[in-house]
Amino acid sequence: MSIIETKGVYKTYNTTKVPVNAVNGVDLKIEEGEFTAIVGPSGSGKTTLLNMLSGLDLPTRGDIFIENTNLKGLSSSQLIDFRLNNIGFVFQAYNLIPVLTVKENTEFIMFLQKVPKRERQKRVKELLGAVGIGDKMDYKPSQLSGGQQQRVAVARALASRPKYIIADEPTANLDSVSTSELLELMAQMNKKYNTTFIFATHDQRVMDKARRILTIEDGKILKDEQFDR
Amino acid sequence: MKTLIKIAWRNLWRNRRRTLLTVASVVLALVLALFMRSMQLGSYEQMIKAGVNQVGYLQIHSKGYWEEQSIDRAFFDKDSIDAALKSTSGISKTLPFLQTFSLASYGNLTKGVLVDGIKPDKEDSQTNLSGKIVKGDYLTKSEHSVIIGDKLAQYLKMDVGDSLVLIGQGFRGITAYGIYPISGIFHLPSLQMNSQLVYMNLKDAQAFVYPYQEGLLTGISVFLNDPDHLPQVKKSLLTKLGKHYEATSWKVMLSDILQAIEVDNVSGELMLFILYIVVAFSIFSTILMMTMERSKQYSVMISVGMQRWQLVLVSMIETVIISLLGVLIGLLIISPVLYYFHENPIPLAGSMADLYLQFNIKPVLPFSVKPHIFASQTTIIFILSLVSVLYPVVFISRFNILNASRH
Ligand SMILES: Nc1ncnc2c1ncn2[C@@H]1O[C@H](COP(=O)(O)OP(=O)(O)OP(=O)(O)O)[C@@H](O)[C@H]1O
Ligand SMILES: [Mg+2]
Repeated sequence: MSIIETKGVYKTYNTTKVPVNAVNGVDLKIEEGEFTAIVGPSGSGKTTLLNMLSGLDLPTRGDIFIENTNLKGLSSSQLIDFRLNNIGFVFQAYNLIPVLTVKENTEFIMFLQKVPKRERQKRVKELLGAVGIGDKMDYKPSQLSGGQQQRVAVARALASRPKYIIADEPTANLDSVSTSELLELMAQMNKKYNTTFIFATHDQRVMDKARRILTIEDGKILKDEQFDR
Repeated sequence: MKTLIKIAWRNLWRNRRRTLLTVASVVLALVLALFMRSMQLGSYEQMIKAGVNQVGYLQIHSKGYWEEQSIDRAFFDKDSIDAALKSTSGISKTLPFLQTFSLASYGNLTKGVLVDGIKPDKEDSQTNLSGKIVKGDYLTKSEHSVIIGDKLAQYLKMDVGDSLVLIGQGFRGITAYGIYPISGIFHLPSLQMNSQLVYMNLKDAQAFVYPYQEGLLTGISVFLNDPDHLPQVKKSLLTKLGKHYEATSWKVMLSDILQAIEVDNVSGELMLFILYIVVAFSIFSTILMMTMERSKQYSVMISVGMQRWQLVLVSMIETVIISLLGVLIGLLIISPVLYYFHENPIPLAGSMADLYLQFNIKPVLPFSVKPHIFASQTTIIFILSLVSVLYPVVFISRFNILNASRH
């Protein structure tokens, strides 16, 4: 069974004079372990689609199933809990909680999940080591570079053992070196933990790493390509 | 919970200066409020204490006397009254008295006075009247003499040793008449008392008003061990004394003072109100800024799975920390000051002093350190900060996480 399945998903914004169909009929299946990029020009609906896939936003029409759960059927606080226990996030910016240290940031979601302390510490150690921040556990986010912050964000997302990780332009604020490092890291983690990654990007280097590329334009999926790498 | 507290605490110290300023405003408000309140309520307590010291917690009269204070409403001190007083628990002291208006003259000068027949020893132990004598001697039990106020002496051009003639209406329509040597001249804080009062032995007063039968009184002042027992004592006395007597409590007798206090208190409360608005605004604006500038952080936190109520809790903890810090520091600063002024009252001058003197109260300002003052001001500050937390509560439970993370 796919971990994500969308059926006839539309998102229409009526906030402007002319209604905008940001997502315009998307049928999509995503399987466990995928490393998938959603690409397309600015305004094509990437963010809108990802927001719906991650339960941050609901479709105007159509259904989104995460395994057996139809996201439409959840109340807003159930939706928060659903995200907590099933979905990892890496955002473009403002990812980390500025007042918490790297270690505390990585622990944060597990704390919300009520993971026991011992287990939390085990995962923090392992993951921060894996993303190469093991020696900066007690730093504050502001003492890290953008690339390092994004690695912590990846570690944090992985620590909560999500079904999949959503990343909306995770490299947009990074220079080219950090970008390829972060990508390398995500690809590694994807292999190591078999965690599904879905990310939106404009970046050619990011696309080059993806094993599946969904090209979207005007809210519709134009191309769905698989690569063997 | 521990993590939430940690986040709240660190949030506060991220902008150290703003947090300290807010704490300082709480401190300032509490210090000012407590200072004002303690001073004001202390002065009221002082007034009431002095008043009660003079008239007693309650007075027993013949029924209707307090409404119309006429010598015709005097009563004879009977054994049954003594028995009633003795058998009622909680009474520390009783002072019988006989008061009547009369004309006082010396030479060709005449003035209306209040003759107050008292038991010199008992009165002295209550009000330290002998300490107010500025010339001559205090009353003794046996002597047939009077003491008068210095203003009255001045008006009548009298001195110690001169004889005062008193003429007035006696009990049951007889004429009261007597000549009394002046043994002493006193000075009380109140002008009215100094120019009107004539103290004499209770026995002399009784003989003056009604020489045919002993024991005439207009009232008995009753003092209590514990003022809180007033209602019980009053009730018990009334049942024992029967329907021909009344027991008037100090709240009725001192209604003038209480009214003056009430009027004054309103202005004090208005000042406090303004002060509180200022603090509330300060706390509120800090909370508001903290909430606004963190909306992105909040949206990330909710996105990754933090419930909104948990964020609300963080905001509340922040507010509680600010007000708790403010209150603690404020109490630490102001408490010693209030205790100092409680022990060492400030002497008063000017119109305030005059007001005190009118009521025959020593014009000093002892601060009140009653626990309820501290409790109420602290509670108000807490309530204010809880009210200011309503904004983030509403904000957090409503705001759209997608809008916040967009920009
Ligand atoms: N809250 C909103 N209200 C109105 N219109 C919106 C809203 N959010 C997105 N849109 C519109 O929906 C369309 C898709 O936007 P979206 O942000 O999904 O594009 P995107 O592919 O992520 O673009 P970019 O690459 O620039 O991030 C755009 O035309 C955008 O203007
Ligand atoms: Mg986008």
